[in-house]
Amino acid sequence: MIIPQTPLMVVLLVVLAPLFGALLCGIDRRITARAQGRIGPPILQAVYDTIKLLRKEPMLLNRVQIVYAYLHLAFMILAMLLLVFGQDSLMFLFVFAFSTLSLVLGGMCVRSPYSRIGSQREIMLMVAYEPILILLMIGFYLVNGHSFMLSAPMTAAKPMLLSLPLLFIGFLVVLAIKMQKSPFDIATSHHAHQEIVKGLTIEYSGPYLAILEIAHFYEMALLFFFIVLFWSSPAWVGIILASLSFFLMTVVDNAFARLTSMWIFKFMWTGALILAVTNVLWLYWASK
Amino acid sequence: MTDVPKFNKSPWVVHFNCNSCNGCDIEFLACLTPLYDLERFGILHVGNPKHADVLVVTGSVNHRNARVLKNVYDQIPEPKVVVAMGVCASTGGIFADGYNVLGGVDKVIPVDVFVPGCPARPEAMIDGVLKGAQILEAKHSGKTPLAEKNVLTRTPTPVATPVAQEKGAPHA
Amino acid sequence: MQIQEALIALLVLGPLVFGLLMLTGVKGVLRNALVAVAGVTTIAAGVALPFYSGVIVPDVGLPTLITTLGNWIEPMVILTVLAIGFSIRSWPVRIMALIQLGLCVIGLLMSRHEPLEETKLVVDSLAMIMVLIVSVIGSLIALYAIGYMNGHEHHAPATAASNNRFFFVLISFLGLMNGLVLVDNMKWLSIFWEGTTLCSFFLIGHDGTAEAKASARRAITINVFGGLAMSVGVFLAAHSVGSESLSVLMSKGPVVLLPIALLAIATMTKSAQMPFQSWLLGAMVAPTPVSALLHSSTMVKAGSYLILRMSPGLEGTPLAAVVAIAGAFTFALTSALAIGQSNGKKVLAYSTIANLGLISCCAAIGTPLAYAAGITILIFHAISKALLFLCVGTIEQSIGSRDIEDMGGLLFKMPLTTNIAIVGMISMMMPPFGMLIGKWMAIESAVHFPVVLILLVLGSALTIFFWAKWLGRITTTSYHEKYTIESISPWMRTVLAVIGIGVVVASICALPIYEQVIRPVSLLTFSEQASNINISILDSVSAFLGWPMIIVIGAIIMALATGALLFKPSRLRLPYLCGENVDSDETTYTFRSIADAPSTAMLTSYYLPLFGESRITTWANPLAALIILSLFGVLFI
Ligand code: SF4
Repeated sequence: MIIPQTPLMVVLLVVLAPLFGALLCGIDRRITARAQGRIGPPILQAVYDTIKLLRKEPMLLNRVQIVYAYLHLAFMILAMLLLVFGQDSLMFLFVFAFSTLSLVLGGMCVRSPYSRIGSQREIMLMVAYEPILILLMIGFYLVNGHSFMLSAPMTAAKPMLLSLPLLFIGFLVVLAIKMQKSPFDIATSHHAHQEIVKGLTIEYSGPYLAILEIAHFYEMALLFFFIVLFWSSPAWVGIILASLSFFLMTVVDNAFARLTSMWIFKFMWTGALILAVTNVLWLYWASK
Repeated sequence: MTDVPKFNKSPWVVHFNCNSCNGCDIEFLACLTPLYDLERFGILHVGNPKHADVLVVTGSVNHRNARVLKNVYDQIPEPKVVVAMGVCASTGGIFADGYNVLGGVDKVIPVDVFVPGCPARPEAMIDGVLKGAQILEAKHSGKTPLAEKNVLTRTPTPVATPVAQEKGAPHA
Repeated sequence: MQIQEALIALLVLGPLVFGLLMLTGVKGVLRNALVAVAGVTTIAAGVALPFYSGVIVPDVGLPTLITTLGNWIEPMVILTVLAIGFSIRSWPVRIMALIQLGLCVIGLLMSRHEPLEETKLVVDSLAMIMVLIVSVIGSLIALYAIGYMNGHEHHAPATAASNNRFFFVLISFLGLMNGLVLVDNMKWLSIFWEGTTLCSFFLIGHDGTAEAKASARRAITINVFGGLAMSVGVFLAAHSVGSESLSVLMSKGPVVLLPIALLAIATMTKSAQMPFQSWLLGAMVAPTPVSALLHSSTMVKAGSYLILRMSPGLEGTPLAAVVAIAGAFTFALTSALAIGQSNGKKVLAYSTIANLGLISCCAAIGTPLAYAAGITILIFHAISKALLFLCVGTIEQSIGSRDIEDMGGLLFKMPLTTNIAIVGMISMMMPPFGMLIGKWMAIESAVHFPVVLILLVLGSALTIFFWAKWLGRITTTSYHEKYTIESISPWMRTVLAVIGIGVVVASICALPIYEQVIRPVSLLTFSEQASNINISILDSVSAFLGWPMIIVIGAIIMALATGALLFKPSRLRLPYLCGENVDSDETTYTFRSIADAPSTAMLTSYYLPLFGESRITTWANPLAALIILSLFGVLFI
């Protein structure tokens, strides 16, 4: 499963990935609704929402905000391309982190208490999950014959999942955080709207909110693709795996209540981290 | 696919309780439940005006909350519609003669849809929001002129403008 | 070769001469001019040096006169330390100075009979990189100091020493650093080493307040301890290897572990690794140019430079693992400590220590990639940190606070400094700036050392936290139609702008710098590993830096950012405060509370008590000391 680095491919990815992400979000909302005994919105609802936002009047608090919104999107697209084209895994992670960081900074740069609270919580989340992701990349490195390139897991004969089961569990938790699912949706989410009034995205409206939404769609597509890496040959198993993971997230979302950021930090740096470290150390031991 | 999806496919609602007896509010929240399921129309209940398209107001306007209502209204990006939910929001309802009451929401901000009832029934409410959503599209395409902003039909008692605290306060 | 020797003399002796001129008591414009001339000549000489030496330069011999001179200067330096020990009534300093004096005398008596090898200078690429950092950044800081000290004079405490003495020490410092970098003879190395200790003592104590005195005392105690470790190391080396040359010692590698371990400890004290970090934190009481100088280009970088020099010697010894773990431990823990701080300078200090830890960790890992990572961090950290310290100093002088929480709205009040500070912060953490590339290479090179790796991973996650908090606070602003023009001294403004542009240019040139300078140095140093697989990773660094996508995305960002500037004030709204905003320029956190009284929301960033200073240091310092002591433990394995 190697994707050629051609300009055409870049264009295709940039155009199709957000649609795919939007579809994932739509399905997610539909499943949630069905789980609650509702009919739920149309599958393309996320697309309608975004188009509507794009057509609304832009409204802002200062100039800096806009720059951060664009940076968030640009870094997210870059991260997705780095991933899909199998570039260096750590650099992919850094770019991915800076995308989220731009979002955080965009929330912090305005004088709005809600937005700032949301941003602070988002940084806590980032610090909580970042080590797991880096360790995951180290795991890939150790399994794939000492290569940091993401193209290695794409071509690996043996599925990554079999060598990295604990890291995969850790990654699922990260997935829940990135998808803004309970119990981790403390910084912003469609559900947390009453608590900190939408947290770090509150001061973005109209087209700028649409930019954040589109970046989120890219993020969804990126995460989906990332799960496929765990079982890339044959790729269809990976796709099923990814779909199941996303379904699991929806179930978890509906089954849990929100928790505090400090709890999440401690949970990630003990439970999840121990899983990840155990897996990595085991790989070291196995390779000796 | 005919053309660009209309505003009426995803009206996001912010709910503002002016001076309600909470009867209307409870009915409005009932719309979110599986029985009525607002979301199937793409309607989302958002918590702040900056993300909203439709302002749903319950309860009558009084001297103290008129300013707040207008502030929330101003923070909704164009195009936007206002739905007055229940008779209180429409005319002042049973509180109309209160010493502090200005009257319906239309005394402070332009209203697009009036939903009668005390409280209004959830079906009527959903209907009202969807009507509002249609007006949104019309407003965006310029078929309905945008309401003139800041029109007060009756002036609320002026409140003293508070002086901002000492300039350049450190945590500003 | 003539020009090269002249340049070296200018780099080492020039600043000392200019410094001495300061002591003649020149005042006002004349003094400023003198400092400016000293700075500019040092910059010129530093920049010229690489041109007159080719890529790799053979060692340059020194006249025997200078060699014998060293025999006399060393006791003099130690006597100065001893005198300070008496004047500040510190027994540890006195005792350590006496031991050093004893070693020095014994060394002199013993060497009478056996002729020592010729004193040598080493002018290779690493040394030239360091000379460039010291002379360019150090001199720029000196130029900045002209403006800063004029302002400082007015509100400095009455106890402060004269500005002339300040500039004397500041400028001589540069000469001593250049000397330290260029010598290969360890006797001279320890002379310069002690010299920088003395300079930092005087600079930190400049204000003469009780706090300044205490900090200066702590600085000299810890650094003299390092100096002592070095003297003992040099003494042992001279008598076990029979040479005072550092490169000879390093080439002997595994045979002479004890001196190497002692030198490693000396580098740790100098670069303020845990548990020696307290002196660098105390150094913040000094005027801003001093902390900028100590943290970015001189003093602490002496430690990093020496450990990088020692890298080939450490490689393959059991010491390497310990040094690497100590460095990684410092990186992780000081990054955590930085989270708990709201004092901007302290955050910078901890981040400096963390990066120095990373450098010594890289040096100890000892692969071409790690070595390249170490040098990358050394270069880019020096530029960015100098810039950040100068910015914080400027901000502090103008708003009277160095607390991060007070820095909101600065984008409007002091746009130039704040924008430059933002560039500095971004350069510490974002792609494609050099620091991130360095950290990236560091993690990739640590991949075969699980303990080091996990510490680095945790540390780099924590790093994001404190930078993001600060960056978020400093970019916080309300909308203003016009920007104000801030009034700061032209010296300061120029230097800030120059370094700011330097940071941007350096990051644009990250690829050429890496290709032309860092990669060859590292391949040359570790030539025996040249066939190793690590080379392929070195190549992948180049591949990434050249990845055209970066440029494309960069262009998009630029285009969009320009679009962002086409901003209509009619789209402006106040933040959402449940409809209760009080409309005012300055305080948009203000809302109407009970009875319409205005009330201001208070919101600070997270400064998690979990990462409080006292809470972490109580267990981390002993643990770090234990790690360092195990340096001696591994000698017996
Ligand atoms: S209309 Fe009736 S139910 Fe609604 S707020 Fe008024 S009194 Fe209450």
